[in-house]
Amino acid sequence: MNETLEKLSTCILEGDSEAAPGLVQQALDDGVVPKTILDEGMVVGMNEVGDRFRRGDMFVPEVLMSADAMQSGLEILRPELVSSGVKLIGKVVLGTVQGDLHDIGKNLVGMMCEGAGFEVIDLGFNQKPEAFIDAVKEHQPDLVGMSALLTTTMRAMGHTIKSLEEAGLREQVKVMVGGAPVDQAFADRIGADGYGSNAVAGSDLAKRLVGAG
Amino acid sequence: MSTSESLPLVVIACKVFQGLLEAYLPEDVAASTTFKDYGLHRVPSKLTWSVQDEIDRIEQPSLILLGYGLCGNGLRGVKSRQHTLVIPRADDCIAILLGSREAYLEEFESEPGTYYLTKGWLESGSDPLKEYNEYLETYGQEEALWLMDQQYQHYKRLVLVAHSRADLDAFRSQAQAVAKFCERWDMHYEEKLGSDRFIARLVEIASSLDKDDKDFLIVPPGGEIRQEDFIGG
Repeated sequence: MNETLEKLSTCILEGDSEAAPGLVQQALDDGVVPKTILDEGMVVGMNEVGDRFRRGDMFVPEVLMSADAMQSGLEILRPELVSSGVKLIGKVVLGTVQGDLHDIGKNLVGMMCEGAGFEVIDLGFNQKPEAFIDAVKEHQPDLVGMSALLTTTMRAMGHTIKSLEEAGLREQVKVMVGGAPVDQAFADRIGADGYGSNAVAGSDLAKRLVGAG
Repeated sequence: MSTSESLPLVVIACKVFQGLLEAYLPEDVAASTTFKDYGLHRVPSKLTWSVQDEIDRIEQPSLILLGYGLCGNGLRGVKSRQHTLVIPRADDCIAILLGSREAYLEEFESEPGTYYLTKGWLESGSDPLKEYNEYLETYGQEEALWLMDQQYQHYKRLVLVAHSRADLDAFRSQAQAVAKFCERWDMHYEEKLGSDRFIARLVEIASSLDKDDKDFLIVPPGGEIRQEDFIGG
């Protein structure tokens, strides 16, 4: 692997938001194509963050710092991704479900999806099923992504899917779910199309669901 | 003390319920009860292993009361082995202290942005003020405040929950110090008097296992605690 990309991946993992833009710029100056900088540098780092967090080897403050480093690197990389002709691969509506105001994970998924080439419509947190329905009607997305941090609020994901069905909108979107208490079995039970165990897995899933993975 | 089915009674519980359980359990059972550390639920998989380990150490088939809820899926996957497990069908300790899961869900509806404080949590768990002080040591003030804002900026309410007035009185000043810090996010402070109903019934049910009791999950030998037993589909 390119040495700069390796440094960039470590810098994301360590949450060094000051170093990230410089390393992205250095990779660009080295002639690395923007998509490779994202996939083989930043995403590799973020993937490791997700794994470590899941295992309990990394905690919320470190994840927040990694997200911040990712964000600051993306600010340099995003225009380059666009001008290098990476085309939009789909549209995703994202939100944290009703009763839940935790948005750290959801924001990360949004960031990764944007990096992967999606247009992201972020509804924010504590969003009622109706808000998802309105957004699907208005934006006609390919995907709806829902997040919840608590077992008390993950139920709302099932309610939202039911509401999409009742509104006759379920067939026109793929639904993906994620968040600490969620797993594949739960996703299957509520009739979601997929589950992502961390932000990178979420954007990979999004790509697969629109046939671009 | 033995149950109607003559199984020896064993209790494994979170420290949050120590005082409450000790008041209801027969002295000999209370004395041999394992009260486990708070905060294990922050890494739910560690909680699973740790409770399973306690269960696996018990050789004689027993009736095991678990003083836990689903606890962020921390109890999911716990296997009963040769024992029978009884566990409150509650998401976490707040529901148990409030007295019912309905009461908890009502609180969620009225104000989702609520951070709950309890006696156990204030004694040896964490709270936003403690967390800030820990961050302060590690990261310095600017970074510490940024981290706190990222995590708590959407919260609206801080609630001290206790099952008795005495506990509310005892922990008021500590909770109010946390509340003062949380004014940073315009959070307001409230107190909720819960109930000891859940814990009292957990002990009561040991002597007359009622498999139809919706408030408790009974896992027979060879079974496992599943998320869907708490969440539904």
